[in-house]
Amino acid sequence: MSVIEGAIVYSNLLVLLSVGLTLTYITTAVPNFAQGSFAVFGSYISLTLLRLYKIHPYYSLPFSFILGGLLGLAVYLLILRPLIKREASVVILMISTLALDLILLGIIGSYSDSLAEISHKSASRFIFTPYDFDIAGMSAILFVSTLVISLSIFALFLLLYKTKFGVALRASMENPDLAEVMGVNVEYTRLFSWFLSGALAAMAGTLLPFRQEIVPSTGAIIIVSIFAASIVGGLANINGALLGGYIVGFSESFLTYNLSTILGTGILLYSKVISLVVLIIVLILAPRGITGVNWRRVIWKKSSLQ
Amino acid sequence: MEEIIVTIALWFGLYTIVSLSLNLEYGFAGIPNFGRALAVLMGAVAVGGIANRILISVFGISGDIITASAQIRSLTNDLIVSNPAYGVGLLLLCLALAVILGAVTGALFILPSAKLSEDYLAITLLAISEVAFMVCNYNIAIIGGYYGVSTPDVLAFVPGEERMVVFTAITLFIAFLVFIFVRRLTNSPFGRLLRAMRENESVVEATGKSVMLLRIKTAAIGSAIASLAGALYSLYSVNVIATSFSRVEWTFYPFLMVLLGGAGNNRGVVVGTLTFVIVKILLTIYKHEIRAILHLPFEAVWLEYILFGLLMYFVLLYRPEGLIKERPIFTAPIKKVAAKIRGDA
Repeated sequence: MSVIEGAIVYSNLLVLLSVGLTLTYITTAVPNFAQGSFAVFGSYISLTLLRLYKIHPYYSLPFSFILGGLLGLAVYLLILRPLIKREASVVILMISTLALDLILLGIIGSYSDSLAEISHKSASRFIFTPYDFDIAGMSAILFVSTLVISLSIFALFLLLYKTKFGVALRASMENPDLAEVMGVNVEYTRLFSWFLSGALAAMAGTLLPFRQEIVPSTGAIIIVSIFAASIVGGLANINGALLGGYIVGFSESFLTYNLSTILGTGILLYSKVISLVVLIIVLILAPRGITGVNWRRVIWKKSSLQ
Repeated sequence: MEEIIVTIALWFGLYTIVSLSLNLEYGFAGIPNFGRALAVLMGAVAVGGIANRILISVFGISGDIITASAQIRSLTNDLIVSNPAYGVGLLLLCLALAVILGAVTGALFILPSAKLSEDYLAITLLAISEVAFMVCNYNIAIIGGYYGVSTPDVLAFVPGEERMVVFTAITLFIAFLVFIFVRRLTNSPFGRLLRAMRENESVVEATGKSVMLLRIKTAAIGSAIASLAGALYSLYSVNVIATSFSRVEWTFYPFLMVLLGGAGNNRGVVVGTLTFVIVKILLTIYKHEIRAILHLPFEAVWLEYILFGLLMYFVLLYRPEGLIKERPIFTAPIKKVAAKIRGDA
């Protein structure tokens, strides 16, 4: 896989993850610290189907979508909704998603040990690249991940902008109280966003082993990139997740590679440092992310200075 | 049995230091420090990265940090056995270095996020801590990464079988000092200011205090305290391995102890820490038995994660104020008023 191919694949997956994170942040106002583990959950669904039923990981995408969505729903209904009903603060909700992350890590870890026992092959460290094939000289994952991201984004925007449910959804994102007064059931939008968030994350998780090795605790490593992508774009805007995902994804893989040609390969280990630096720069310059900046105002200010 | 009690006491001391520091930041000042592990890691860096390098240059040893540290250990051990004062001095030097490094890192790492709202702040702190953990793990030039570096045995003059008991006593003593310090600090006007900031930042700003400066001060003090635990842990295990400073062990568990005991109540946090440590140590010691009895087809550590994750969730759901609730501050004027009310009744 060439560097640019890898960068595109990685950014596509990052966008899937950060769109989900942003969706749930907009509707529930809590950053989900377990988003990375949602992805690893998807990876293990595909691994199970591959090991036990010999289903190619690409064909397991629908299963990941549905099971991941159910996981998202379960998380909202069982963990967050009871806390929100008790009027828990944002910090308490964040801590509950940290706890959820640990529970998921425990479940995934114990599942991986059990799976290894059943399939007589270690499941605590795996990669799908041997199962990938070439299409027109390029790896298939490039096409598959691009197809998945375009279809998901297209469907999401169609839903948000062309259906009545989408109007209600956007209304309750903009102003939940007002939407509720107008008869929109805010609960539905939350259920929907958690389902979609889990589903998109699990699909990303199915495709992630084509690019990097997965261990049960991979979620803790990629969460930094997911947060960086969402915050760089703007946590309160779905378009921001798209933009941020590509910015962070490209700087992480592309910039690191280019730096490594100058500074030596040792720097390749520091790809997450790059996303952290990007995150901090954006937080200092534009705390609400790129889409949170009032660009018209910035341009107007600049032109009035001259 | 005796060994179990000493192990519990040791971890109780270490975790008390960390959870009190987190209580200062989260319980009193309302800073959701999801990057507590970073300060603890800095304590380990102060011992394995800085103190070791100082010793290396003093003894004039060449070679990379991992092999040079091993030589340092044997050299210092001889020295400490012949004169215990060196050991005590080295212990104090390590603790002082940890406090300085912890305070500087704490103040620096909150800088980019000092003006952010709670959720952004938590994300940024977690990201910084997580990335620092990765760098220390991968870069073996800092503290030996996943290979680890040896540290001098500051208690080399104590016979082997008593070493753990003596070290536990030292740790408990330092935890006690930290408790006294944190209690005095939080009962002072500064402590009341921190609580005011937690409740309403705008009010604090309106009275002419800078919230940003307060956050920086709190993070510096809190991190300095937490890095003491990192230094003590490294000196105890005579080895620094970056892998052992994970988010679960040093950020999530301290949060669990603080919330279990009662955020904003130092005594409650100590009780929470003791409860947690007893459960954790017993789980760790009997993990093979548990695995055998329950016929678990997997490692018991996963069960531990699930268990503590659920415990955290139930604390949040059913007892968000913790075992012991936060109490109002009894300043001299309030005591007078309270006495008056009691007198009237």
